[in-house]
Amino acid sequence: MDQATNGTNVGTGVFFDGRISTRRDVRVTLGSRLLEIDDTNGRLLAEWPYEEIEGLPAPDGVLRLGRHGHVRLERLEIFDAAFAAAVDARAANVDRTGALLHRQRLAVVGFSMLAVASLVLVAWLGVPALAGRVAPLLPVAVEQRLGAAVDLQVRNALDTRHTGAAFACGSGDDKAQARAALARVTQRLEAAAALPLPLTFTVVRRKEANALAIPGGQIYVFEGLIDAAENADELAAVLAHEIGHVAHRDGTRAVLQGAGLSFLFGMLLGDFVGGGAVVIAARSVLQSSYSREVEAAADTYAVGLMQKMGGNGRALAAILARIGGATEPGMKILRDHPDTKARVATIERLAPAAPGQAMLSPADWTALRGICKG
Amino acid sequence: MTSLQASDGDAGRVRFLGGRRAYARLLARGAALLMATLGIYRFWLMTDVRRFLWCNTEIDGETLEYAGTPIELLLGFLVAIAVLVPVYAGFFLAALDLGLLGELTGLLAFVGLGVLGQYAIYRARRYRLTRTIFRGLRFTQTGSAWVYALRAVTWWIVTALTFGLAYPFQLASLERYKMRHTFYGTLPGRFAGAGWMLLLRGLPMWLLVVAPLALSVMAFVEAVDWGALADAVGQGGDDLMSHVEGGNPALGEVIVFAMLMTAVSAVLAALLYPVFQAVVLRWWTSGLRFGAVEARSRLRIRQVYGAYMRFLWWSVLFTVALGVLAVPLLMLIGFVAGRMPESGAGDIAATLVGLGGYVVAMLGYSTIYRATVMLSLWQLGAEALQLSGAALLDRVEAAGGASSPLGEGLADALNVGGY
Repeated sequence: MDQATNGTNVGTGVFFDGRISTRRDVRVTLGSRLLEIDDTNGRLLAEWPYEEIEGLPAPDGVLRLGRHGHVRLERLEIFDAAFAAAVDARAANVDRTGALLHRQRLAVVGFSMLAVASLVLVAWLGVPALAGRVAPLLPVAVEQRLGAAVDLQVRNALDTRHTGAAFACGSGDDKAQARAALARVTQRLEAAAALPLPLTFTVVRRKEANALAIPGGQIYVFEGLIDAAENADELAAVLAHEIGHVAHRDGTRAVLQGAGLSFLFGMLLGDFVGGGAVVIAARSVLQSSYSREVEAAADTYAVGLMQKMGGNGRALAAILARIGGATEPGMKILRDHPDTKARVATIERLAPAAPGQAMLSPADWTALRGICKG
Repeated sequence: MTSLQASDGDAGRVRFLGGRRAYARLLARGAALLMATLGIYRFWLMTDVRRFLWCNTEIDGETLEYAGTPIELLLGFLVAIAVLVPVYAGFFLAALDLGLLGELTGLLAFVGLGVLGQYAIYRARRYRLTRTIFRGLRFTQTGSAWVYALRAVTWWIVTALTFGLAYPFQLASLERYKMRHTFYGTLPGRFAGAGWMLLLRGLPMWLLVVAPLALSVMAFVEAVDWGALADAVGQGGDDLMSHVEGGNPALGEVIVFAMLMTAVSAVLAALLYPVFQAVVLRWWTSGLRFGAVEARSRLRIRQVYGAYMRFLWWSVLFTVALGVLAVPLLMLIGFVAGRMPESGAGDIAATLVGLGGYVVAMLGYSTIYRATVMLSLWQLGAEALQLSGAALLDRVEAAGGASSPLGEGLADALNVGGY
């Protein structure tokens, strides 16, 4: 250090002029309006107005300065702490202590949190509303095409071929009576529902007491559901519930919602670690919250359809209470789940306790129950 | 600090000045803010990380400077979203089509996004280079990102078809393309590493990992009665597996053997991964050239193992801490759920805690990995370097300007980001 650094108006530094990479040891003079850079021979290299000087990232103990918005990347490095402080005091845009950066970061974090809040609101309210508006507008042909694509995936997920038996039941010659009995139930349901698209019912070898409606009118009836039903009315009531999903286009809506949520969270949040899991979890949490209302609407539809056919409106409540409301995949199978209790209570409020007319003769019901056996 | 100590003995030396603790603090604060902002903070964190790494890397007495800003990254990301939305929408619509198009959509999306990802990698490299300033001069990158993307995808296919044996040649070829189009001011870069050199170093590792897998495949070929299998397939039917098992009583043992061999292979791969990283890093950095400035690396493999040891140690500590914190939380949830079984609050709380725990754990491990292994690879890779002809660095002329951050945004949206 030479004696020039003793006064805080003059100091030393290293200068790069931005034209060539040559390192120059320089003398820096702090004038009233300009910072002046001279080489060791006293030749003027640069004059920087204080308002154009900006602080740049540098290792600890180095103050690196540049000229903001300047074409050439002139750089001045100052190593003496006292002199660096003197420069900092004169140049407003030099943020040596990081206080300005800290304030900016607080604003960034604040606005990001607002953005998150608005994102969650859109996911919670906007996406279902949008999907609800768009789903009814889709032509039946598009819905059937969508359904076929979903159907492929569902079949892959549910198929039990490895157990050594066909996925769908009732194809054998000895099952003619069972098939006829099922057709009697489904044809009555379909006639009463009078939907704009044809329905297809397939009984499949799955042990769960469940049924599943795919967009486009494909309905899977699980073997376990037929085992759990005590009579044809209970089976018909669950099928009516699934027809309700088709009529309300719930499957289509769910596909649209899923796509919307995947996009919203997946793409906007990008690649921070764990982001993928957040997307999946957010989807399942949000979709299960949508599904409560959807299930309630399908229940109401099912009660109406059963009554329209002169069947037992309370049959759905009876079978729901028995199987614990596990009519949707992914929902918890819990006998005393509060949702199931509430659903049963609602159905019983809607439907009178009249048994109605039985859907099938005892012989037909016995035949139908054997559709997957043997 | 920097220039004052640059004596003749230090000519051509590369040093890393950053402290591990300061870097770990930066990452930990960043991880907390990432969580609070659902990841939006990543543009700021990434910029902080690069500023730290760049400006603490000293080459021949002068440190690098990272001049990129978070706002640029955010804008690049938004532009990338605008580009990708129609692409994704197109794939979604095409997937609904049941004809040939629908069947091919998956493949098309895979290849299309693969090409786009490589394009993004090249553009992102250009962004980072043009934001790297050294002695008042920028680095620049020319060349076509599309040409690079096609080369990269072609090489990946070749590498996959050769079970990884072509990987050294892939690295060398792509690195030659990158470095041929890289400039420091007017000083042109090139890559002098040879693929076969890396192949020689990597071949023993490749053999150790692949041999157990090959053994199990051979065992399958021996054990399976292919005639019976062809008959079973010809008959069709649903019970293919039982046919196969019926005809091959030894199949069970072979499956056990294959699982064992796969496990051996996986363990060997995990143990050898640090060696692989060190070998590739040393080979890569030793091949870097700028004009007459040549780099040579003296990286030691055991140093990289040390970094992994630190990663394991901190991961164990972090896991214990998470476990200790989880117990009272779970007890609280159990208490709440027990008090109000009807409300379903217990379920929701359990889901939220599970989700939160997962995010904290994943972010935690990745932060520890960045603070130990990744920092060490940067530091060791840099400090092992010795430059010859470094005097040339004092006489380079400026050229080129800054580039668009679009590639960086695409890389972020497509999950192919680097440092």
